[in-house]
Amino acid sequence: MNINRVKILAFKEWREILRDRLFFSLAFVAPISMMLVFGYGIKMDVENIPFAILDQDRSAMSRDYLHLFIDSRYFDYQGDVANEREIDNLIAGSKIRFAIIVPPKFQQTLLSGRPIAVESLIDGTFPSRASISKGYVAAINNAFNTQLLTAYMSQKMGTTPEKVAGFVSPIKIQLRYLYNQEIKSIWSIAPLMMMFILLMMPPLLTALGVVREKENGSIYNIYSSTITRGEFLIGKLFPYVVISCINVVILWLMAIFIFGAPFKGDPVFFFIASVIYVTCTTGIGLLVSLIAKTQVSAMMITVLVTMVPAILYSGLMVPIASMDAASKFEAHLFPAMYYTEITLGGFLKGVGMDELWTHAAALLLYTLVLWLASFSLFHKRVKA
Amino acid sequence: MSLMARIIEGKRYHWWSRMAAMTGKELLQLGRDTVLVCAVLYLFTLDVMMAGGVKMDLNQGAIVVHDADHSMASRELIYRFQPPYFKMLGEILNEKEGVRLLDHGEALVVLDIPPKFQHDLLQGKPTAVQVQVDASNTILGTLAASYSAQIIGQYGFDAALQRMGLTGESLEAVPMVDDRHRVWYNPNQKDAWFMSISELLTVITVLAMLLPAAAAVREKERGTIEQLLVSPLTPIQILLPKVISMTLVILIGTALCVGLVLYGFFEIPIKGSLPLFFLVTALYTFAMSGLGLFISTISRNLAQAAMLVMMIMMPIILLSGAWTPPEAMPDGIRQAMYFSPLYYYIEMAYDILLKGAGLAVLWDSLLSLSLLGSVVFIFGVWRFKRQFG
Repeated sequence: MNINRVKILAFKEWREILRDRLFFSLAFVAPISMMLVFGYGIKMDVENIPFAILDQDRSAMSRDYLHLFIDSRYFDYQGDVANEREIDNLIAGSKIRFAIIVPPKFQQTLLSGRPIAVESLIDGTFPSRASISKGYVAAINNAFNTQLLTAYMSQKMGTTPEKVAGFVSPIKIQLRYLYNQEIKSIWSIAPLMMMFILLMMPPLLTALGVVREKENGSIYNIYSSTITRGEFLIGKLFPYVVISCINVVILWLMAIFIFGAPFKGDPVFFFIASVIYVTCTTGIGLLVSLIAKTQVSAMMITVLVTMVPAILYSGLMVPIASMDAASKFEAHLFPAMYYTEITLGGFLKGVGMDELWTHAAALLLYTLVLWLASFSLFHKRVKA
Repeated sequence: MSLMARIIEGKRYHWWSRMAAMTGKELLQLGRDTVLVCAVLYLFTLDVMMAGGVKMDLNQGAIVVHDADHSMASRELIYRFQPPYFKMLGEILNEKEGVRLLDHGEALVVLDIPPKFQHDLLQGKPTAVQVQVDASNTILGTLAASYSAQIIGQYGFDAALQRMGLTGESLEAVPMVDDRHRVWYNPNQKDAWFMSISELLTVITVLAMLLPAAAAVREKERGTIEQLLVSPLTPIQILLPKVISMTLVILIGTALCVGLVLYGFFEIPIKGSLPLFFLVTALYTFAMSGLGLFISTISRNLAQAAMLVMMIMMPIILLSGAWTPPEAMPDGIRQAMYFSPLYYYIEMAYDILLKGAGLAVLWDSLLSLSLLGSVVFIFGVWRFKRQFG
């Protein structure tokens, strides 16, 4: 390995990147704008669910009951409907996500001391949204039942409602959210976006950079030169790794100063792990560029092999713990999952080396495998 | 037939035959890039299948318990934390152990039951159960917290009823509102139905922008655009075949995906009209290809085009309601969504495929998509014509 040759190649590559102004600025602007859009844009909380009411009783009690829904911040009241057919159309056209039907004689039945069923219709197209809505309905219903039962028991036992309250709801729940007490979703989204952006951008930059030489034919200059395979790969990729490392710092600063996410972990460990991660994702780009012949296909494959795992197998939207065995196995095959643990550990949990070294080691191993695979796939001799 | 008419007809014939030849050329060029063809096939089949296997809900959330009471009541409460939402990993002896498990991400929830839990419950004295949740991933944390609260709340309510002697038949004489919900269109709430359609729509979006943009930029980068410009082709004849051929590829891929994956593999009951769905898809693909053409005019090489596609595509996908509920978006972004073609396309795709909605319900979304699509497409064509006209 001749360091001088590596240096020269890296310098040539750097020049080439720098001279393509649009490409160079996009290499920094794209991650920053992605971070801004997602940071301000993603909200996973299910709130303001649009709903409609069909009140067939129109009594004081049904109004009380329905007002629990109307006043809730989780639901967004869209108005009353006259019959069930109207509900059909509203849900089919996605104008409302859920409707509640209070049957006739609601008040009469309850006052006479008998139970009654209330029907809620939920749009199931988005299953997780449907189950969260179901949870909200159940919670509001429970609150109303507790009121009813308190009133009923105090009447029956002849005591004040305050005394009965202890009987009706005996267990208090003390919920403690660890690592993110106010459950600010931006705190967890900002570190997760670092993982996401650093998985998508470095391979794209790299793959395009290498395949461009192949497509334009300038790679033949390399083939006929004295530079060795290893020197070429390292020199070629060095500038891309540097760009990605700068992006790590930029995104880290954005997460802390723009989005206010607390960084509690060990910064040295975090940066070492991050450098390993971007070297690893750059390696993905390298491997892709050796398989693909044209820039279009390089781009497609890169988007393919990075976006799907970045969204689905990283813990970004779907927690690893919730996956079935097959998906969990696939998740372990992608580097995203390990870095998710490292960013969340560094930002929110304040854990460092001791807890996370296995993840960093996994990334390192992954990097080595990728680079070795690329090394063995790259030939200076053109196949006949 | 008069001479004039024959000339006009001849011209018209040439116009169409040139369009056909160019469309054929684009398809052939795409077909020769084996890796690209494989990637497109993969996206429409295996990728959608993989996405359908992912569950969005809390599934087997790891929970450990610190039980300081060891009574019938505490055991009954612990027993209620069951799959599919929770997976009880076992008991821990002290709180430190719980914190350690949470730090390592080995447990999601630590349940802490106080001493004298059963005693207090029987006495009607208030008692408190502590639930510690790892909220570093807020989505997961919130789900786990809400399910735990539901379970404990229900247990408390049941215990209260039991204590007051209100069980079984005597419950019939208590005023209570019973919540009966019906979930429509996906009664068993299979995540695969939602996820696979969502992924298909994402794939269509990516390809609808990327393929025409790439086809146009490649000609620029290789210099073959010069050959086309000196040929008797008008700019429209150069650009429309690119859009038409790529739309064709996308429609074939979509048909494959709907037939093999959505209907065949996941057994989604396709309720609405498939011709309407393909019509909407074609319209949407045209709109997005306008955006692709616009990108091809401002970039000089594919690398630039790829970066621009990424930059434009990501916000469109993530802010369209494909992954996140549109109602939950903050105010400014909610309004911005009305300018995203994908927002309307997603609404219509779900409404047609799962809900069986027809034109009567969807006309307003269709109108919005057509208007927005025309504007975007005409803008893209205008830019292209200005550059190459």
